[in-house]
Amino acid sequence: MTPHAPKRSMSPVFWLMFGAGGMLSALFGPALIVLTGIMLPFGLGVPGRFGDYAHALRFAQNPLGKLILLAVIALFFWHGAERIFLTLKDMRAGALPVLRVATYGVAALLTLVTLALLLEIGF
Amino acid sequence: MSERRPYMRAQPRDWWAHKPYLGYTLRELTGAGVALYGGILLAGLISLARGPEAFEGFRSFLTSPISLLIHLLLLAVMIWHVVTWFQTMPKTMPKLIVGGRHVPQQNLMVAGVALAALCSVALIVLVLAVGAWS
Repeated sequence: MTPHAPKRSMSPVFWLMFGAGGMLSALFGPALIVLTGIMLPFGLGVPGRFGDYAHALRFAQNPLGKLILLAVIALFFWHGAERIFLTLKDMRAGALPVLRVATYGVAALLTLVTLALLLEIGF
Repeated sequence: MSERRPYMRAQPRDWWAHKPYLGYTLRELTGAGVALYGGILLAGLISLARGPEAFEGFRSFLTSPISLLIHLLLLAVMIWHVVTWFQTMPKTMPKLIVGGRHVPQQNLMVAGVALAALCSVALIVLVLAVGAWS
């Protein structure tokens, strides 16, 4: 690296995850909440068995199902992390390294947990 | 010692709770709602991985009144996220020119919200169709 190389910032990476999560939740978030929070648990409009263990397991074992679960869960966390980090920074709620660990760090950890669970559930 | 003594406007610690910043704070807080919903899905995934009994526990939570209340609240937060997301989007992208004229930001916002409504309705209709067909 030359001595005058500009210092690279990590923020575009976080910004991309924030944008992807924001767009995914803006387009499908309301429907997802209605589906998983109201229709599936109460069997409204869909057969009651759609929400049971066997069906949920089949969905989580399907490669496309895994991809949907990973994208929704991880990107929603990264979207929230970016917003909470910037807001807490503006509120001067604490030292920046602490805020980063409490937001990006948690999002990264929960992404790994989601990935591990999806692998544990198997195909 | 510097002679420079710039005027520092006093800013109360709770500036974010008052107008004109309150709208900004409420918009940013929708991010916490989005993440919380991701957390509910993750809790479901954890119980799914732990076995049928744990998953039944998660399902009985989902049918409780407190869960219904949380999801209705999250739905309201999510809808506010949709509106503010597409209000902000035209401000973050280059000006859109169609036929030599600027497309007003208001039009882009309305188009974005309409697209979001279409996507959400399409997803629910798809699930309803699968349910009716199976």
